[in-house]
Amino acid sequence: MPGHFYILVSLALFFIGTTGVLMRRNALFVLMSVELQLAAGSLALVAFSRGLGDQRGHVVAFFVMALAAAEAAIGLAIVVSIYRVNRKIDLATIDELRN
Amino acid sequence: MNLATAAPTVLEKIAFFVLAAGVLGGALVTITRKSAVGALIALIATFCASAGLYATLSAHFLAVLQVLVYAGAIMVLFIFAVMIVSHDEEHPIALRGLFVRTAGVLAIGYLFYRTAWLVVRERTSDVLAATAPPPIPDFGNVAAIGRLLFSDFLFPFEAISLLLLAAVVGGVVLARPPQTRNDGGAV
Repeated sequence: MPGHFYILVSLALFFIGTTGVLMRRNALFVLMSVELQLAAGSLALVAFSRGLGDQRGHVVAFFVMALAAAEAAIGLAIVVSIYRVNRKIDLATIDELRN
Repeated sequence: MNLATAAPTVLEKIAFFVLAAGVLGGALVTITRKSAVGALIALIATFCASAGLYATLSAHFLAVLQVLVYAGAIMVLFIFAVMIVSHDEEHPIALRGLFVRTAGVLAIGYLFYRTAWLVVRERTSDVLAATAPPPIPDFGNVAAIGRLLFSDFLFPFEAISLLLLAAVVGGVVLARPPQTRNDGGAV
């Protein structure tokens, strides 16, 4: 398939992820939307690296994957520890760090 | 670089459109679902479909990693977090500041619309045109990516392993129950 189809899918995926980050109020869903944004970025990297015939884009997409793993581990640990203190993970009502 | 542009076969077209519909539909279900478990299943489907898209771009190593790391490891982490938190919400959409958020979504939507327009206009350029055969025979397989990782990208590779170690330690420290957090020095 021509490369611009992949870039359009990646743009749409990033837009959906951004909408999720802005509109949802459950912290878990916001983290999932961030994962969608990272996947969209990886898709664009892989599509461009195919178009350029350069495999370095694959390596950067690999690093993005490792970064997503680290982000998910830390983010979910923060969500769990906020839930332990507040018994809720509603981003609209969590507005203080002190319990 | 002279990239051969050939018309995609019918099978390629079907595979691309099915996988792209899976990615976008799964993403839409993910951000609209009320229950976190349903959203997670949709997210796993999204990542599997995007692994298929990687495979059609002859990024085989990344396609396997996408299923193993994203749809496997990261999603298991999410499932454990959902099991611990298990919080059903009444109003999934944030109502406070809804006007500002909607304006933000519309502005970003316009930005993406303009970018998509630009991509479509430049679709005949060298970078975006189709390449029917992969540029080199072992494009995107484990040997080629591994060779690149351990030669040009050795320092970033080691740095990212340090980052993962820091994330593991930080996750353990953050997710421990509060009563055991302060008596670590007594051991």
